[in-house]
Amino acid sequence: MALGIVVICKASGIFNLAVGEFVAFGCYLGWALLIQVGLSLPVMIIMLFVVITLLAFSVERFFMRPLIGQPVLSAIMITIALMEILAGVITLLWPGIGRMYPPILPAGTWSFWGVTIAQGRLIIFIVCMLVFGLFVVFFQRTRIGLVMRAASEDQQLAQSGGVKVTRITAVTWFIGITTCFIGGILLGMLQTVNPGIAGLGMKAYPAVIVGGLESVPGALLGGLLIGLSESLGAGYLDKFVQGGMAEVMPFVVLMLVLIIKPYGLFGYKRIERV
Amino acid sequence: MRPAGTFDESYSQDMAIVRTRFQWIMLIAGLIFLFGVLPQISSYYVLTLANLIGITVIGALGLQILLGYCGQISMGHMAFMGVGAYVTGIMMSHLGLPWFAALICAAAASALLGLVFGLPALRIKGFYLALSTMAAHFIIIWAIWHGGDITGGVYGLSIPRPHIGEFVIKGEKSFFYLIMIFMVIMTFIAKNLVRMKLGRALIAIRDNDIAAEFMGINVFYYKLVAFTIASAFAGVSGALYALYLGNIAPEQFAFLDSLWYIGYLIIGGLGSITGVFFGVTFLLALRQVVMIAAPTISVVMPGLSEGILAATMQITFGSVIALFLIFEPRGLYHRWEVAKSTIRLWPFPY
Repeated sequence: MALGIVVICKASGIFNLAVGEFVAFGCYLGWALLIQVGLSLPVMIIMLFVVITLLAFSVERFFMRPLIGQPVLSAIMITIALMEILAGVITLLWPGIGRMYPPILPAGTWSFWGVTIAQGRLIIFIVCMLVFGLFVVFFQRTRIGLVMRAASEDQQLAQSGGVKVTRITAVTWFIGITTCFIGGILLGMLQTVNPGIAGLGMKAYPAVIVGGLESVPGALLGGLLIGLSESLGAGYLDKFVQGGMAEVMPFVVLMLVLIIKPYGLFGYKRIERV
Repeated sequence: MRPAGTFDESYSQDMAIVRTRFQWIMLIAGLIFLFGVLPQISSYYVLTLANLIGITVIGALGLQILLGYCGQISMGHMAFMGVGAYVTGIMMSHLGLPWFAALICAAAASALLGLVFGLPALRIKGFYLALSTMAAHFIIIWAIWHGGDITGGVYGLSIPRPHIGEFVIKGEKSFFYLIMIFMVIMTFIAKNLVRMKLGRALIAIRDNDIAAEFMGINVFYYKLVAFTIASAFAGVSGALYALYLGNIAPEQFAFLDSLWYIGYLIIGGLGSITGVFFGVTFLLALRQVVMIAAPTISVVMPGLSEGILAATMQITFGSVIALFLIFEPRGLYHRWEVAKSTIRLWPFPY
C-alpha cells in the first residue's frame, strides 16, 4: 500500500533512497503529535503540513541546491546521508520498541459477496487509491505536473524553457514527503509504530524498478509481481532452504529483471548520445 | 603536481611511482615508522584502531577502483567482504587449509561472485546499478544466513588462529604486522593497476562510456574486470577481518557498512588511492570520537540515553557525508594536494 506512494516519489525524478526513513519519520511524527502533544486529528494534519513544508524547503535549499550539476552518485549519496540523519533522529527521539496508534479506524468487518474485509483496511485502501488517483491526475493534467515532469526529464532544458527548477524541486520534495507521511501514518495505523517501517520502504524499490521507473501502471504491476513472488517463493521454495525465501525473492526478481530488461517492464529506454 | 625543476630524463624515470629523492626518503621513513616505531609506541587501543583501518583500507581500495576509477556504483561491497570472510572460515575450520591458501581462495571466490553480480552492469548504470548491487548485497547476506551447517547460520563460524610455521599469530601486535604487510602490498597493487592500461581504460569509461567505446575500449570487458578486482580486494579484506576477529557472524556485514564504504571514498576523494587512506582514517577516527562522546551527551540530556550511540553515529555519518558533498566534493585528497602545493610555493601565492 505504501507502494503507490513510493511511485510518486519516483515519478518526480528524484533518486530518493530516503523514502523508507521518510515514511517512518512521518509515522512517528504523527504518533508523537497525536499522543505526546495530544492534538486532535485535524490539528495534527495541519501541523504535519507545516512540518512537511519546512522539511521540503530546507531539503531543497541545503541538500539539493548545492548539488545541481553534480553526478548521479552525489545525488544518491545525499539522499543516503539524509536517510542516515533521519534514522538517527528517529532513534534519538523515540527510542525503544513499537508504539500503538489510538484506534481511529473502525474495527468491524464488512462482507461483500461472501468476502470478509476489515473495515479499517478497506478505508486505508480507499484512501490510498484516492491519493494515488489524485497524483496521477495532477501529474498528467495540471501545469505544475507538466513542469515537474519536464524538470525531471532535463533540468537545463527546463530551465531555459522558463521553469524555475529550484522552486519545482522544492514542490516535488513537498509532494514526495507528503505522500511518504501519508503512507507512514496509514502503515502505523495498520501495525505498530516501529523502526521496521523504514525497511518496508526498502522493499518497495524492487517493485518500482521491476515495473519501470517512469511508468505508473508498471509500478502497480511490479508491486503485484513482487508480492506474488514473495508468497510463491515462500510457499514452494521454503522447504528446500529452511525458510526465509520471502525476504530475498524480491531482490532475486529485481536482479533477473535488471539483467534481462534493464529499464523495467514498462520503463522508457533512453537513447544515449555523446 | 611535481615541484619545479624535476624532469624525466629516461623512460624508467617517467614510469617510476616514487619520483624524487625526497619522496624516497619519505616513503622509507614512513615504512620504518609504520613497521618499526608505531607498534612499539602505541597503546593497545591505537593498535586496534590501526588494524581496523588497515583492513578497511584494503576493502576501500577495491571500491575505489570500481567507483572512483570506473564510476560504477556498488552498494553491496560489504557482502563481498562477507564472502571473503566466510570462504576463509569455511576453508580453515571445515577443510583445515592453512590460512594463506584460504585467503587466496577467499579472494578468488569473491572475485568470481563479483563477476556474476557485475553482470547487470553491462546494461545499466547509475541509479539502477546502485539498486542491483543493493539486491546483490541482500541476496548474498541472505545466503549466508541460510547456509545451514556450512556457514553456521545465525551462530556464525569460529576460525582457528593463523600461524606461520610454528609461530601462531595472535594478539594485536602480531596482527598489526600481518595486516599492514597486506595493506602495503594491496596498495602497491592498486596504485599500479590504475596506472596501467587497465586503469586508463577504466577512467575513460568513467568519464564517458560511449566515447570510450568509440576509442576501441571494450567497455563490457573492463567493467567486469573492475567488478572482479573490486570484489577480490574485498575478499582479501574480508579474509583478514575473519582471521583478525576469529569469529564471524552474518550481522557483521550489514548493508549500512556498505554505505560507510562509499562514505570513505567520498570523504577521501574519489579517484585517488591516497584519498582512501584519508577517508578511512578520518571516518574511523570520527567513529571513535563519537563512541567516546556519546555517553557524555546522554549524561547532559537524560531521557535520550537509549540507543544514543547508534543514533549519534548515524547523524554524524549522515551530516559528514552531506557536508563533504556540498562543500568539498573532491574530498580530503584535494585539500591535501592544495596544502602540498601551498607549502611548496611558499612564500609566493602561486
